[in-house]
Amino acid sequence: MTEEFYTREFDNGMTLVAQRMVQVSSAAMTFAVPAGSSHDPPDGAGAASSATCWLLRGAGDRDTRGINDALDSLGCQHHEAAQSEHLLVSSAQLGRNLPAVLEIYADIIRRPALADETFGPCRDLVAQALDGLEDEPMRNCHVLMREKFYPHPLGRNPLGTKQSLSEMKPDTMRLHLKGHLSPRGTIMAVAGKFDWKELSKTVEKQFGDWAGRSPEQVQETPAQRGVTHLKKETAQVQITLAWPAATINDEHYYAARIVQMILSGGMGARLFTEVREKRGLVYAIVARYHSLKGHAGMFVYAGTTPQRAQETLDVTVGELRRLAEGVQEDELARARTQLKSALIMQGESTLARADALAGDWYHLGRLRSLEEISSAIDAITVEDVMKYITAYPADDLTTLTIGPDELVLSRK
Amino acid sequence: MQFKQEILENGLTITVEVNPSAASMALGFFVRTGSRDESPELPISGVSHFLEHMMFKGTDRRSPFDINREFDEMGAAYNAFTSEENTVYYGAVLPEFQERVLDLLSDMMRPALRAEDFETEKQVILEEIALYEDRPQFRLYEKLMAEHFGEHPLSHSVLGTSESIRALKRDDMLDYFNHRYSPGNVTLVAAGNLDWDALVGQARQTCGHWKEYSVTRDTLETTGTGRTGAIVDAKLLRQNVGMISPAPGAQDDRRYAADVLAAIVGDVVGSRLFYALIEPAIAEEASCTYESLDGTGIFITFISADPDRADRAVEIVHDEYEKFITEGPTDQEMEAARNKIASSATLKGELPMGRLTAVGFDWVYRRECKPLAEHIEQIFAVTSKNVLELAKQFNLNATTTLALGPK
Repeated sequence: MTEEFYTREFDNGMTLVAQRMVQVSSAAMTFAVPAGSSHDPPDGAGAASSATCWLLRGAGDRDTRGINDALDSLGCQHHEAAQSEHLLVSSAQLGRNLPAVLEIYADIIRRPALADETFGPCRDLVAQALDGLEDEPMRNCHVLMREKFYPHPLGRNPLGTKQSLSEMKPDTMRLHLKGHLSPRGTIMAVAGKFDWKELSKTVEKQFGDWAGRSPEQVQETPAQRGVTHLKKETAQVQITLAWPAATINDEHYYAARIVQMILSGGMGARLFTEVREKRGLVYAIVARYHSLKGHAGMFVYAGTTPQRAQETLDVTVGELRRLAEGVQEDELARARTQLKSALIMQGESTLARADALAGDWYHLGRLRSLEEISSAIDAITVEDVMKYITAYPADDLTTLTIGPDELVLSRK
Repeated sequence: MQFKQEILENGLTITVEVNPSAASMALGFFVRTGSRDESPELPISGVSHFLEHMMFKGTDRRSPFDINREFDEMGAAYNAFTSEENTVYYGAVLPEFQERVLDLLSDMMRPALRAEDFETEKQVILEEIALYEDRPQFRLYEKLMAEHFGEHPLSHSVLGTSESIRALKRDDMLDYFNHRYSPGNVTLVAAGNLDWDALVGQARQTCGHWKEYSVTRDTLETTGTGRTGAIVDAKLLRQNVGMISPAPGAQDDRRYAADVLAAIVGDVVGSRLFYALIEPAIAEEASCTYESLDGTGIFITFISADPDRADRAVEIVHDEYEKFITEGPTDQEMEAARNKIASSATLKGELPMGRLTAVGFDWVYRRECKPLAEHIEQIFAVTSKNVLELAKQFNLNATTTLALGPK
């Protein structure tokens, strides 16, 4: 199966990338604007998160209700999120409704009302979400770990802080958004049922004359990393560990994904087998790979009750260090099959494909075919994996735990 | 798209939807059993869910590690889930693994239940119970279901408690398994790009010898207790409130109107609760969903608010529901709700995994094989009069209410 890819780069700096899928009737759209939380003003953390709400409070000729009614009537399943690098707007609907949906999104992105009276409630919702995070230690530890692991402000909590939110004003926010909602570096990815000529023309009509400046380079300060414990009376101790990994545009990227699979690809992978199946120490244990443009990491999570937490940490860290002792040919074979199979199954989902297209364009500046990824995965040898593990060893672990008592991270 | 069906002599039903243009296939065993089927006389609360874990712990032919490794070798997306009334085991694979995934899953359905695995897995279940203790909304859900259903078996907790799990005996689990996993109570479901003849032939071999027991379930309708309560947890920052009101059951044709009603009053965006609570930031979360159950159903409303705004938020929900029962939906709301539901069903239906659960539950609850297009037609056939009548008949505002938070 060869994919039908299309790309078009507009003069204003925006790129449209698309994949036509013949077997579906839906079309999904992911709109990635380089105005994520790392671009928030230094004293305005939480700006992008507030914006995901504020942008939908009226745009063009429509008020809040008008926007919602218009999107709902088109059966549009939409979602807005502030990530580190991008402000993401995504939406899935029947392919035939896509042109009408794009017209509404042109209003949302280019002509939002941003009225004074709707700003307060949006900021308030973000502040409430911040409290909600505090009530859910599992979610919270992932957010806090990124803050420690990535350089500032790339890793900071997109929700900001109580203080930054309380000081945020509609005037400064409007100014900030005016500067940052720009076609320069913006990617629109579409996957599913569409006619390319029509899509290309619609996007040109709605976004072709959109103008704006390039986003400023984010000034990074080094990550703090190290070992942190947050004391909290939780039922389970939350354990997160992280160490650097190859980024998506690195030649070692596929080896990184293989290592992640060997640790945590399925229930037969190392962490699940040793920590849960053999010892019954946890319900949840997982290793995830995450990449920003210049930095990537392998993130391990385990949750367990306090009296078993030290053993869980020891066994988990032991497994991470055991990687350096070697990997087996059959583990590699399973990891390859899992990666390729997941890829084919994601290929059936318009939403998953739109996200993947946007990610490819952002990280690589091109779209990868199934064929290309499959061959790259097949080409990985045990030797490649060991070379990778030597280059990215799991020894200097950034560690964050939340729970009643502090744990001891054994030295290598 | 083509439906196929066969019932084996021992009562096992095989039901599939073949889609030759899909890239993958999904296959699962749907067992009509869950916490509502756990006898209150025996101390077995949580046995359905614990058993679901034990099903992955090996058979006469396979060790627990074999099972995990084989799934991984196929690159399968696989898991299982247990609810108040269903336990489902599934795997999605590329078509070339059809035979292997059926061999593995059908073997798993006759587990060894070894004593040493039972003790290790007990620790995992206790960890899972602890995990959910750190999730306020889940804690609230379990307590709210218990509060609403009172003496009705749907009040039973899916996870059980640390005490009930510690006390659970392997022999009681075996006894529960023998009765509830009788072939007449199990459906083999598949969807996607698959070979029907091969599937039936193989299922005869692997499942045809399963012994039959008689299985029953108490499916009384209930309107719930309508009680109001609160659980105080000073450690929490947010006040979480859950409300349940009665709704049509899974076999009731009014379930389509119930879907539309829930979308109008309580979808996360653009609903009555959105404008009354989220837009003015009185609550950060407010939603109402419809859940159809065997013989009964519920509308379940969740709110998360600052502690000092929660009482007002609950009052507003009641005012909105009262107004809705009196006035019913507008035409604009009807159109938006129908389109949203149809679009979400279409997206789900494009994936074999999405079709697997739809096809499976159509059979488990209604003994029907219905194409997605017919479901969507029935959503479009719902009128505003249907929705208004439903809100009145079931009294949307007669809620069981439970709060969990610092006050």
